[in-house]
Amino acid sequence: MAGSDLRISEHPILGQTKEGREVTFTYDGRPLTGYEGEPIAAALRAAGVMVHRYTAKKHTPRGIFCAIGRCTDCVMIVDGEPNVRTCMTPLREGMKVQTQYGVSSRPEVTP
Amino acid sequence: MKRVDLIVIGAGPSGLSAAIEAAKTGMSVLVFDENARPGGQLFKQIHKFFGSKEHKAKIRGFVIGQQLLKEAEDAGVQVSLESTVIGIYPEREVVVRKYVETPAADGTDPQEPSSRHEAVFHYKADAILVATGASENMVMFDGWTLPGVMGAGAAQTLMNLHGVRPGKRVLMLGSGNVGLVVSFQLLQAGCQVAALVDAAPKIGGYGVHAAKVARCGVPFYLSHTIKKVEGTNHVTGVTIAEVDSHFQFIPGTEKHFDVDTVCVAVGLSPMSQLLKMAGCEMDNSGKGGGQIPVVDAAGQTSVPGIFAAGDVAGIEEASSAMIEGRMAGIRIAEYLGYETKEAGEAEFSKEEASLEGLRQGMFAPQNRGMKIEKTEEGIPISTNLLKHGFVADDEIGRFPGVTHKAGIHPVMECTQNIPCNPCQDACAKHCIHIGLNITALPAVEEGSTCIGCGMCVASCSGQAIFLVNEHTKEGCAEVTLPYEFLPLPKAGDEGFGMSRSGKPVCRAKVVKVRTSKAFDHTALLTIEVPEDMAMKARFYRSRLECTGGDSVIAQSRIKGAEVSQNGATGDRPCESKAAAESEKREEGAAI
Repeated sequence: MAGSDLRISEHPILGQTKEGREVTFTYDGRPLTGYEGEPIAAALRAAGVMVHRYTAKKHTPRGIFCAIGRCTDCVMIVDGEPNVRTCMTPLREGMKVQTQYGVSSRPEVTP
Repeated sequence: MKRVDLIVIGAGPSGLSAAIEAAKTGMSVLVFDENARPGGQLFKQIHKFFGSKEHKAKIRGFVIGQQLLKEAEDAGVQVSLESTVIGIYPEREVVVRKYVETPAADGTDPQEPSSRHEAVFHYKADAILVATGASENMVMFDGWTLPGVMGAGAAQTLMNLHGVRPGKRVLMLGSGNVGLVVSFQLLQAGCQVAALVDAAPKIGGYGVHAAKVARCGVPFYLSHTIKKVEGTNHVTGVTIAEVDSHFQFIPGTEKHFDVDTVCVAVGLSPMSQLLKMAGCEMDNSGKGGGQIPVVDAAGQTSVPGIFAAGDVAGIEEASSAMIEGRMAGIRIAEYLGYETKEAGEAEFSKEEASLEGLRQGMFAPQNRGMKIEKTEEGIPISTNLLKHGFVADDEIGRFPGVTHKAGIHPVMECTQNIPCNPCQDACAKHCIHIGLNITALPAVEEGSTCIGCGMCVASCSGQAIFLVNEHTKEGCAEVTLPYEFLPLPKAGDEGFGMSRSGKPVCRAKVVKVRTSKAFDHTALLTIEVPEDMAMKARFYRSRLECTGGDSVIAQSRIKGAEVSQNGATGDRPCESKAAAESEKREEGAAI
């Protein structure tokens, strides 16, 4: 993506990075762009987003950890559905991606 | 319920290999994999593999993956992706969770678009092969859950599969092959690697992998581990400290690094849960890297008809996983009567011998945790390599690949017995001798004549071979080295010759840059250096394209200035006036 310094445009071994169609999605209401078919997590990382969710009990942040669908640290609310593994779920046009607080899309009030 | 002859769980190197062997005999084979694409971890492996020709040595992992997929397709193997096996029940019943697409009712109601739902399906097979692989281990230091701390495999997935750097500046914990290989890949992807850290007193992976990272200027901190990762919402820094022989922190030894990413490469654990669930007898001794099934040479578990192969049956590497898979596939075909005993045995023993060939040398499974002091040849191993990641100047001369000779000749800085021999086959002039025992250190064949073709340099999976001409003209030498970074220097470029430790030791001029299909993305850089640096300069850096960190850039500048100030190289004929001029400009620019 133009503007993201984390995207590898050319790699010494893999050559030019194959990019899909550029699509727009929203992250907590903010429009972002990514490539269709890449994991949501990759698009978020390239856009500079590191926090995917906050835990239910201690409200501590979590992000990409295993990137292969094992650890569930990167789950977010995608199109209203909570606990979606963003490292495994391909990005599609118009997706609504939200930070997950516990299992909800709203920050809980801490006592 | 759908029935097939063989169900394979996991479309990685071992699962696909087994499926291919079984399908070749006419069996109906169905492979399940939870990922969106097959190949397991092979497509993240961008380095050249070790071994010999039969093990697909010197071919990059992702290319082996492509070959395997093609072979599977040709054999008629069916792969069901995004399909997670959630259980193996008695009589080899397999339960799979998949996604089903529910189409929109008629497309007119925007409130009811097509949607994806999970659904569970049942299958039954006469044999099951579990090839689920392994997952990464973690260490629970302070701050380990912060976004920005991730498995080394996760970093590899992001950069090599998805073209996204995990961060800008990374600290790597773990000096096994995964930690070393991924550190190098981070550099290749354009990240900075601040340090490579391991609590163990010596480097766990191949010395050649460590050496390629060290010569890029990445410092190694052995007997060190992470004390704390800092940051509120994501990683902003990390503090490491030295540990004593009981792995307790030594006060006052803390070192801080500003990083945005911490990668953890502290081993893998077999994902053997399905086998346990299926009632297979398990081995908890920990020798396979975790809980593994008890299996015979073909991967047959204690439950008839259930087999296991690859990392799930004991952590090794992709090359051995592929052979184990083939062995299991052959035995399963025999077991179900698709292959005669005789034909099966012949193929099986061929694979077995090939696997045996890989399980040799200093890093063989049976040598895990052993303290090895000498090579098979009786040469004391480099202690500096184990501690700092590079062979010291006073150690390198004792290895058989390192010799002096007039004219161009190969220098093979291969100092540990690992099963690998592509260099021997690469040299058409037979300059390199390894012999039938593929773990032997490569030696220079006496009386042979090197023509400087560079095939050995490009074929060395460990990037440990250099072509050296110790005297080209008055006071000058030339070193040809493997180079896998961008931007590729051009002939005429001037920069620094870097030592094995990644420190600038002299000024260097690029005299030749060779790329070729036969070199497979390894460029061959020939640099001109002062004569006394012929056996010391092992890497090239242009002025500002230092991938190893800012400190290295600063060092380059200082060292370069020192070199010209003390006149150590200033009078040499190979130091052209233009070079000196350019350095002046560069110092100016850098200030």
